[in-house]
Amino acid sequence: MDKPKIAFYWCASCGGCEEATVDLAEKILDVVNLVDIVFWPVAMDYKVEDVEKLPDGSITASFINGGVRLSEHEEMVKLLRRKSKLVIAYGACSSWGGIPGLANLYSREEILRYVYHEAPTVENPQKIQPQLRIKAEEGITLELPEFLPRLLPLDLVVDVDYYVPGCPPTPEVTWKAIETLLSGNLPAKGSVLGALDKSLCYDCPLNETKPEKVLIKEIKRPHEVIADPTKCLLIQGLVCLGPVTRGGCGALCIKAAMPCTGCFGPLDEVIDYGGKAISYFASIVDYSDEQEIEKTLGKILDPMGIFYRYSLPASRLRGKITIAER
Amino acid sequence: MNEEPRIGVYICHCGVNIAGSVNIKEVVEYAKNLPNVIEARDYIFMCSAPGQEIIKEGIKKCNLNRVVVAACSPTMHEHTFRNVLAEAGINPYLLEMVNIREQCSWVHSDNKEAATTKAKLLIRMAVAKASLLEPLKEITFKVNKNVLVIGGGVAGLSAARDLAAKGFKVYLIERKPVIGGNTARLGRLAHAEIKGIDLVGELSRQVLSSPNIHIYVDTELANVDGSVGDFKIKLVKNPRYVNEKCNLCGECVKVCPVDVPNEYEFGVSSRKAIYLPFREAYPPIYVVDSENCTRCFECVKVCPMNAINLAEKTEEIELTVGAIIIAAGHEPYEPPIGEFGYGVSSRVITLFQLERMLDEAGPTKGELKLDGREPKNIVFITCVGSLNTTPNAYPYCSRMCCSSTIKNALMIREKYPEANIYILHRDIRTYSRGDEQLYLKAGESLIRFARYREAPNVIVNPDGSINVRFFEETIQEEVFLPADLVVLSVGMKPPKDIDKVRTIVKVGCGPEGFLREAHLKLRPVEAATDGVYLAGTVTGPKNVIESIESGSAAASKASTLLTKEEVRVEPLIAVVDEERCSGCSICIGVCPYGAIRLKTQEKARVAEVDPALCKGCGACAASCPTGAMQQFGFKDAQLKSQVLAALTK
Repeated sequence: MDKPKIAFYWCASCGGCEEATVDLAEKILDVVNLVDIVFWPVAMDYKVEDVEKLPDGSITASFINGGVRLSEHEEMVKLLRRKSKLVIAYGACSSWGGIPGLANLYSREEILRYVYHEAPTVENPQKIQPQLRIKAEEGITLELPEFLPRLLPLDLVVDVDYYVPGCPPTPEVTWKAIETLLSGNLPAKGSVLGALDKSLCYDCPLNETKPEKVLIKEIKRPHEVIADPTKCLLIQGLVCLGPVTRGGCGALCIKAAMPCTGCFGPLDEVIDYGGKAISYFASIVDYSDEQEIEKTLGKILDPMGIFYRYSLPASRLRGKITIAER
Repeated sequence: MNEEPRIGVYICHCGVNIAGSVNIKEVVEYAKNLPNVIEARDYIFMCSAPGQEIIKEGIKKCNLNRVVVAACSPTMHEHTFRNVLAEAGINPYLLEMVNIREQCSWVHSDNKEAATTKAKLLIRMAVAKASLLEPLKEITFKVNKNVLVIGGGVAGLSAARDLAAKGFKVYLIERKPVIGGNTARLGRLAHAEIKGIDLVGELSRQVLSSPNIHIYVDTELANVDGSVGDFKIKLVKNPRYVNEKCNLCGECVKVCPVDVPNEYEFGVSSRKAIYLPFREAYPPIYVVDSENCTRCFECVKVCPMNAINLAEKTEEIELTVGAIIIAAGHEPYEPPIGEFGYGVSSRVITLFQLERMLDEAGPTKGELKLDGREPKNIVFITCVGSLNTTPNAYPYCSRMCCSSTIKNALMIREKYPEANIYILHRDIRTYSRGDEQLYLKAGESLIRFARYREAPNVIVNPDGSINVRFFEETIQEEVFLPADLVVLSVGMKPPKDIDKVRTIVKVGCGPEGFLREAHLKLRPVEAATDGVYLAGTVTGPKNVIESIESGSAAASKASTLLTKEEVRVEPLIAVVDEERCSGCSICIGVCPYGAIRLKTQEKARVAEVDPALCKGCGACAASCPTGAMQQFGFKDAQLKSQVLAALTK
C-alpha cells in the first residue's frame, strides 16, 4: 500500500510554522517513514506543475500555514484543496489571520503608501511601487501576484477540515495532530487537532496560586514589572489571556514569566475570540466608578493588538471596512 | 431534548392595547410561516380564562412542545403562561414570551406599519429561540425555622416580637451596647403621650418576655453563607468588659477619669468611659467604651461585684437561620462644621439636641437655657441635610423632621409663651396622621412659618449674637432675624458600615446608600436576595410609626417563608459545563452573590454553582472566557439563534 501523501505550503506567514515543523527534530524522520512528502516549497524542490499533475484528492493532507494575502496564495490553496482529501489550517495565521491579519486595520492603499513612501526608513524619490504587470525592456511582460484588499484566514477561501493552533504550533502539538490524522480515527470536521478542549489555566502551573476571587485594581505592561514567576501573572496585573485561550501549549510563555498572548485561539464555544477576551478581562477590573475604570483600562494602549492579536480577520470585526466596500 | 420542535404562537390583542397599533391578522399569518411553527392564533385577552384555554387546546390538539406568547411584559404574565403550559402537561420553561405591547404598540402608536414590522421581527426571534429551549426543573430546599434580626431599634424589636409570637426562634443582634436604637434617644413623641424611651421600654418588655428571643448586644454580623431557608451565620460579639454581675451601683462612674461627649444625649452632656447608655437601658449592665478607656483600672478596683474584666476578648457565635431581617436603621445627618453656623456657635444646635434639652429626664431637666438665659428668639431651619438644601445634603425628604420640628416648637411655646419662634422651611410635609392638625395648631400658637428656597444664611457675629438672613419666597422679600437659638432640623442618612452588612448579606442599595427593596411597591419589605427582609429606616427615612409598621410587615413576610417546609426556586440559573470549565475562577470574582466556588475533580479545578445562591444575573456567563458557564433560559446558543433571526432577512 502506498504511504499517505502529505503537502506543506506557506502563505502570508513569518516562516515560524515551517521552523516548527523542522523542530520535530528526529521525529521528522518518523514522519518521513510514515508518509511521502509530495510538496514542501521551503525544504524540497517541487514545482507547482508537480502538484497540478497529481490526480485530484490524491494528497492525504495538506498543511497550510499563513493567511491568504496574495492572489498567488489564493490560487495555490485552491489548487491544494482540489488535490487533497484533507486541508489543515496550520498555525494561528492560517486559522484566524494571525499577526499579519492586524494589517486589516488599514486599507491596501494605506499599506502600500506607508511601506513604499512614508515609512521613516524608506527612501524612494522615484516613487516606485510594485505593479501587477510591467513590460520589461526586452519586450517581456513581467507579472507579480496581486496584493489582495485584505488578508483572509484559510477557511474563508477554501473548505478547511482541521485546525492546528499556535504561533507557531509546538512540536508536541504538531506531532499529536499528525498522529491523530494517521490514526485513521478522524475527529469531527472543523475540530482543532493536537490541543486541549480546556483553556490554558487548566494546564497552567500557576493556576493554583490564584486567590479565590480574581479581581485586579491595576494593569501593568510587561516591561514595567519584573513578574514573580511563581504567582499567577494575571493577579500581578499583567494582561494574561490564558483564561480565554485554548490550552495545549504547555504554558511555555508562562514558564518564562510572560503572560499568554492568545496564540492558541478560542475554545469551541466561543464565537469571537477578541470579544470574549475583552468581556472576560473587563469583568475582573475591580472598580465600579466609571472614571476609575476608564483610568485603569486606559493602560491598555492597543486593545486590538492585545485582544485581537491573532484573530482579527476571523473576528466579527474583520478589520477596517471602507464606506465604498460596505 | 432531541424531538423536533413543534411551536405554537399565541398573539394577544390586549383589548386595543396591542391591536390598536399592531396589525394582528398580518402578524398571525406571518407567524404561521415561521420555521417549526405548527399553529398561530390570536385572541382578545390571551391571559383570560378562554385565552388560556386556546393555548391548552393548541398544545393538546397540535401536539406542541414549545409555546411562544406575544403579549405584554413577561414581568406581568410569564408566570401565568408558564402555569398554562404546566396544566397542559408540558414543561413550563418551554415558553418564550414576546413583549409586543410595551415594545411595539405602545412605543410606536404613531406608526402602525413600524409597530407591525417590529412585532413580526420580535416573534421571529422568539420562535428561533424557542426551538432551542430546554425543559427545566425547579429547585427545592428545606427551611430552617430560626430567624436573624439585625438591629435592635423599634423596627427590629417589632419584627422580633411578632416572629417570636408566631413560634419562631429569633436571634436579635445589636451592634451598640443597648437595644432601642434612635427612638430611645427621642423625647416626647408627637400625639402619643409617650416618650421615645418609654416606647422602647414597652417594646423591650414585650420582647424580653418571650422565651423565643435571644438578644445579642455589642454584636456584629461577620459572615453569611448558604441561602434562603438555610443561612449559616457568623457573629462577632465585642467585649463589653462588664458582666451580668453588675448591680448598677455606679461606683465605677465616680472613679472614672475620662470625660467624653455622651452620644446618647447627642453630645449635650458628657459621660465617662464606663457608663450606662440611659436609664432603663437593656441590658441593665454598665459598658466600657474601649476606645476612650485609659486602662487605669480604677473602676475594677472599686467594683463591689467584681463585674469588670478589662481583659475580655471578642467572641464568635455561629447560628443557622432560615431568614434574615435587616433593620439596621439610620443615623441622623450631622452638619459639617460651619454649615448654618453649626459647630461655630453653641447657639446653633440640632433638633435632636433640642429634644434632649426639652426632656425633663434629660441632661438639662427640661430647661432650655443658653449661657444661663432663656432664649427669646428661636429660629428653626428645616431640611438640613435633606432636599439638596446645601451641597452636603441628600436629595430626599427625611419625612419625620417637619412634624418633629413643629412638635418641639409647640413644646417650647408651652414652656416659654413669650418666645418668638420661627420655622424656616423649604416645604412643610406633615403628612402623617394628626400631623396636619399639629401644623395648624402651630399657626394658631403664633409660631411663624417662613419659606426659603436658597439656604438661609446664619451669621455668627463676633459678640456671639446670631442673625439669620434669608429671602422669603411668599412675600418675596429679604428677611433678617436676630436669633438667640438656631435649631437645625437634620434629616436621616444611611447608618455607618451599612455597606459592610449589605455586602455580607448581599443586598443592593440605592444611590444614597439605603438598602433597596426587591420592588418598591410590590415587595417593599423584601430584598432581592431570597430569604432576606428589610425593615425600618434602613431602606430610607421613616417616622417611628412607619418603622414599627415595616417591622411587623417584614416579620409577616418572613413568616410566609418560615412556615413552609421547603422553598422552590426558579431554575433560570447559571450552570457549568464541567467538560469545558478550565477552573480559571474568573466567574467567582464577578459573582455578586458568592454563588460560585471551585471544587477539585479528577485533580482538576472546576467551578460549581450553588443553585440556592445563584440569582441568574448572568454576570458569570458573560465573563466566562471559555463558554463553559451558561445560563439556563439564556444559553449562548439560544441567544445566538435570536440574534441571527434578527439579522437574517
